[in-house]
Amino acid sequence: MKNMKLLGFEETKKLLGRYKIPLVRSKLVNTKKEAKEAAQKFGYPVVLKISSPEVLHRTEKGLVRVGIGRERDLEKAFDEISRACKRIKIEGILIQKTAKGIEIACGMKRDVSFGPVLMFGLGGVFIEVLKDVSFAITPLTRKEAIGMIKGIKGYKILKGYRGKTPVIFSELTKLLTQLSKLSIKHPEIKEIDFNPVFVNKKKVQVADFKFLV
Amino acid sequence: MRSLQPFFNPKSVALIGATDRPGSVGLGICKNLLEGKSRRKIFFVNPYKKKVLERKTYPKITEIGEKIDLAIVVVPAFVVPKVISDCAQKKVGGVIIISSGFAEIDREGVKRQKEIAEILKKANIPLLGPNCLGILRPTSKLNASFSPAMPKAGEVAFISQSGALLDSMIDKALLDDYGFSALISYGNEADLGVCDFLKFLKKDKKTKAIALYIEGLKNGREFIEIARETAKEKPIVALKGGKTSLGQMAVTSHTASLAGSPEIYSAAFKKAGIFEVETVGDLLGVSLALAWSSCCSNAIGVITNGGAAGILMADWCERYGLHLPKLSKKTLRKFENSPIMNPAFSRQNPLDIVGDALSIRYKFALETMLEQKNIQGLIVVETLQIMTEVEKNARVIIEAKRKWPKKPIICCFLGGKFTEAGVKILRRNLIPCYTELREAALAMKALIWRENFLK
Repeated sequence: MKNMKLLGFEETKKLLGRYKIPLVRSKLVNTKKEAKEAAQKFGYPVVLKISSPEVLHRTEKGLVRVGIGRERDLEKAFDEISRACKRIKIEGILIQKTAKGIEIACGMKRDVSFGPVLMFGLGGVFIEVLKDVSFAITPLTRKEAIGMIKGIKGYKILKGYRGKTPVIFSELTKLLTQLSKLSIKHPEIKEIDFNPVFVNKKKVQVADFKFLV
Repeated sequence: MRSLQPFFNPKSVALIGATDRPGSVGLGICKNLLEGKSRRKIFFVNPYKKKVLERKTYPKITEIGEKIDLAIVVVPAFVVPKVISDCAQKKVGGVIIISSGFAEIDREGVKRQKEIAEILKKANIPLLGPNCLGILRPTSKLNASFSPAMPKAGEVAFISQSGALLDSMIDKALLDDYGFSALISYGNEADLGVCDFLKFLKKDKKTKAIALYIEGLKNGREFIEIARETAKEKPIVALKGGKTSLGQMAVTSHTASLAGSPEIYSAAFKKAGIFEVETVGDLLGVSLALAWSSCCSNAIGVITNGGAAGILMADWCERYGLHLPKLSKKTLRKFENSPIMNPAFSRQNPLDIVGDALSIRYKFALETMLEQKNIQGLIVVETLQIMTEVEKNARVIIEAKRKWPKKPIICCFLGGKFTEAGVKILRRNLIPCYTELREAALAMKALIWRENFLK
């Protein structure tokens, strides 16, 4: 992690767009007014988080607010976050529409011997406590991407249990194959972390992202 | 591609560092090489001794008046650069450096290794080692190593990063009566490595399956590519050493810390079409099954003469994802109507033909099960009862394999002393036979995996 920097929001957004990796509706804002305008456009509830090339773990530092349901809460959250990040170099505050679905995580790491390696798993406790993740080496074929998804125990959750509808597997597969393409084309990117990504029956949306360069 | 033929069937070999000092590696190689003296010319090089093991020696390899296909070097590390220069001058076909004291010890060693690799590269001479056990090729009676013994010729080639493991495998193979097409210890990989030997073995007619022991790979992507090409022709089984526990994985949501190397190696093996195993026994057991048997789709029949063995086998089958189809009405009717069966037989798959089964009942059960169309492979379990005809059962199985060559039969003869004869008969007839239920189920899993890979 030493000597590595996070890629800024605008660059990240551009990169994701180029590889057709869908991002939750997001906007980088500097003022409360801008935040309120964006929230109105996206529709509540929204998420606020700081965007800084220096901060790797936002949640732990209290730099994220989720489930902001109305304007009054937004104003309060904006003030709190602004206060919390006074001593940190930031490029702005990121406002996002709240996404719905199952949380998953995926990412890329470069191995000295094998090159870009992809990781996939369910988000939150599944990845951190149960380590229910699968790995694959790029370039990733569609079949290998499906193998990665089926390779975790949590696959049953994605498939829909107790009558729940399954998530959109075609899009999930595409997310992984596109991540593979991006990793191969951009050797300057050392690591990628998408966590969480929300997936439901209709779409896949990256909510949080880190590109280490 | 440079020819590796000098490493597998040289017409002439020179051993640099030949000695008769008791307990030395040099003496070990002298003896091993002489086993193949009817097949090739053997020259001993030693500037300090006129004779070694009653044979004339040469002070330098360049003093030998004939062409040398393979030079084996077993002199102290600091002398190696000098004798390597002689080898280059002599234009030998290939060099094996057994000696240690190179990249594996210190920076000085790294430098020395670079130096010798450079000399040989300039002369376009392929190098195996340094710091390796050497190479064994039973079919050409070549034992260019200091292994304790020579195994018989077989169908599995074993490439190992470790020499000591190779030694123990040879010892085990001698006891269990199976052989190898080649055994290669590649040591520090200053030049030739896994990929070079995979390419060679891909085309080697003697090799039907390849077993790999790997600790680390220098170029993982190249390995995946070459292994994948090789796997299209021949099954590859790998055991990775240095797998750390889950505990070593850092627990953050960070990709970096989660991607510990054991998972990456497993992912690499998967991508390369390699079957990964976890134990030394499985490495050999699965390789033998893949070398000897045709692969099959996932529909397996199980025959047993013991209830518990059938239950335990069913457990392993489920754990390994083997599908056991139901017995068809036709099959059941045949069993019901036959006086050969004990009426207490199980009427399901696993088929328990009951403890008093003699060979005639095994034969009938085998044939009836193999006749059922949706059964693609068979696991035959034998427990040792007082009336069990171990050797006859083995022959019945061999016969069945001859009749249904496309449906693989994997055996598990559970027991020891009294079942050994049956196990050996089966193995001699290239039918995989294990003494542990899990191993038989795993071998079958490998055959199904192979079928799916080739699809």
